[in-house]
Amino acid sequence: MDGRFNTDESYRFPYAVRNSDAAILRFPFPFPEDSYMYSMNVEPHVPAGPVASLHHAFDIDEHYVSECREKARILAEDPERCLVLPHMRQAEWDFVELAMDSLSRDYPDLFALDRDGDRWRWTNRPLEITQDFVFGNAGTLPCGPFEYMARQMQGDFTLQDQRDGDLWMDGGMVTSQADWSLKFDLGMSFGQWHAPVPKAPQMGIFDRALRFLLMLRHGHPVRRLNWTMTINPRLDTSPENFTIWGGDRGSVTADNVADKVHLRVELQSLFRLPRSNAILFSVRCYLLPVGAIARVPKWRSRLHRVLRDLDPALVAYKGLDRYLPQTVAFLSRLDDGAVLSPGIQPDTAILIAVDDLVPR
Amino acid sequence: MMMPRSTGYPAVIADVAPVTPTLRRFDIRATAQPFPPVSAGSHGVFAFGDAVRTWKNPYSIVARSDDGSMLRIIVRLAQGSRGGSAFLHGQGRPGLEITVLGIANLFPVVRKARRHILLSAGVGITPFLSYMDAMDGMGLAYCLHHYCRPEERQAFHALLADRDPGRVVLHDDPDTGRLSEILAAEPVSSRLSMCGPDGFMNWVGAVARDVGFSPGKIHSERFSAPEGGAAFRVDLARSGLSVSVGPEDTLLDALEAAGIEAPCLCRGGACGACRVAVLSGVPDHRDHVLAEAERAAGDCILTCVSRARTATLTLDL
Ligand code: FES
Repeated sequence: MDGRFNTDESYRFPYAVRNSDAAILRFPFPFPEDSYMYSMNVEPHVPAGPVASLHHAFDIDEHYVSECREKARILAEDPERCLVLPHMRQAEWDFVELAMDSLSRDYPDLFALDRDGDRWRWTNRPLEITQDFVFGNAGTLPCGPFEYMARQMQGDFTLQDQRDGDLWMDGGMVTSQADWSLKFDLGMSFGQWHAPVPKAPQMGIFDRALRFLLMLRHGHPVRRLNWTMTINPRLDTSPENFTIWGGDRGSVTADNVADKVHLRVELQSLFRLPRSNAILFSVRCYLLPVGAIARVPKWRSRLHRVLRDLDPALVAYKGLDRYLPQTVAFLSRLDDGAVLSPGIQPDTAILIAVDDLVPR
Repeated sequence: MMMPRSTGYPAVIADVAPVTPTLRRFDIRATAQPFPPVSAGSHGVFAFGDAVRTWKNPYSIVARSDDGSMLRIIVRLAQGSRGGSAFLHGQGRPGLEITVLGIANLFPVVRKARRHILLSAGVGITPFLSYMDAMDGMGLAYCLHHYCRPEERQAFHALLADRDPGRVVLHDDPDTGRLSEILAAEPVSSRLSMCGPDGFMNWVGAVARDVGFSPGKIHSERFSAPEGGAAFRVDLARSGLSVSVGPEDTLLDALEAAGIEAPCLCRGGACGACRVAVLSGVPDHRDHVLAEAERAAGDCILTCVSRARTATLTLDL
């Protein structure tokens, strides 16, 4: 992150989101193999990995300022996008500490935290915020501690309480979700909020995932990548707003597929919070149009093979049916059939120029 | 915060004080980075020992200082024990090096419940000392009933001296009628948490069920201290190694000493993280995690406390 931000982007109509070459190359491309099936694919969330977006506890990129502004707009329109049950207060503070510590450590040019006992000063240079407050005293912040911090971060966050051998989604701020609703899922257990995913429950994946997460240790966060597709660079594909974005799915043609169809990747990371024993679930959303993915030869071929062979149940669950054929057709012309290296790394430092994106 | 701390938090014993003839309090001071914040009900895994051997034992964390420099634990000396707790009682003086390998919580406070009834016996009081601090901070209503021997009453009275007397009750005999009355008087929304020896928890559980407490509102923590037994050998199918487990060693310790990366978390038979598949041989289960059917199937073992009924076991490691 070089400290410069695309400050004039729009994540709603008329859409205007740009990705620099550097942003494309750091994209967390989610397919390590030529085929895809739902799996847990969890790894330690350590500051390392094949793409730069994995190198920090919470990734900040060139869209930071615009995404925070979009988040503020969504919250103004629908304040219930941020809900935290009262028994999660300690978890809220855990989150504040984790976020401020991590951001100020990972991006010292952008953020600073000065701690003097419980008197803290938080500086957020990109958003021009300086806040003095008393850690643990919510009255010293302009809003609830979780909301205060989550507004200053890209992505969605939920807080899971752990009790009775289960995890309960008892708080969160959700403004860039792939078609699920915090209002609906609030207070649900792990099994309840995963109920819509096809096939995975039969595979016992969620039982194993839950057992694993119940033993998640403080200081040992984990991560996984999840994906779907979205038409237009729209962060907020919420069920509440389906009438606004749902129709876009029928608008894809051979001419606009490269710009309109986006691969939507969620970098999901999970942190044990030490005071509350709650688990923070961070869902950082990346949107990249297939036209930009096509500038990386390995990625476009792999995306083509994955989409071409995707299980129909997943196609339906992810709602891809109306534009998958156009997307596969576009990518198939760019796939030369070469054997691709395993893993998600782009295998190139230089992107193909847009003008050279001519089909074979 | 992101770096795996496989080496843990180095520390030394800073202060030792007797609580009762069999319980001793240890204050442990961090010597490198401060200890992380700790949620009520957490335990730490503590590594200590001498030139001859190292123990890695779980103990409930009673308190952490605000600045993270200190942790407090209370350790019980079991009758005739030659394990790590006996070592701490004998050799655990200020200056002894002790490493906090990890901190986890298998017994978290159920914050959603507005009222809590806490029942403990003996060293089982330790998680509730942190519970009461947390509940005071969160404004949750609670009452602790602690059971001890008559000769320990004075000592526990002193341990609880600075607590709200309306919220702690000491009992020096386990009177079933009295416990029934106490539990029957609780509103249906109360959560019951218990910690103590197996016999105590079975007794409380039975009385609670009799007065109509739903099992879903009862929560407990059961650690087992690994006890020795006959020596045995494990053959590791994946690595091809053979490891002998001495009468005083745990299987997990023996695996680690042989350089095997074996999973674990609590080291006290309470979490299930150390579960490993058994390919042949008969395990001797000593944990509180496996269900009856899993025990009977005999195809897995929790390496931190369990042993073998046969001279060898073959493990999927
Ligand atoms: S490590 Fe927890 S049961 Fe063995």
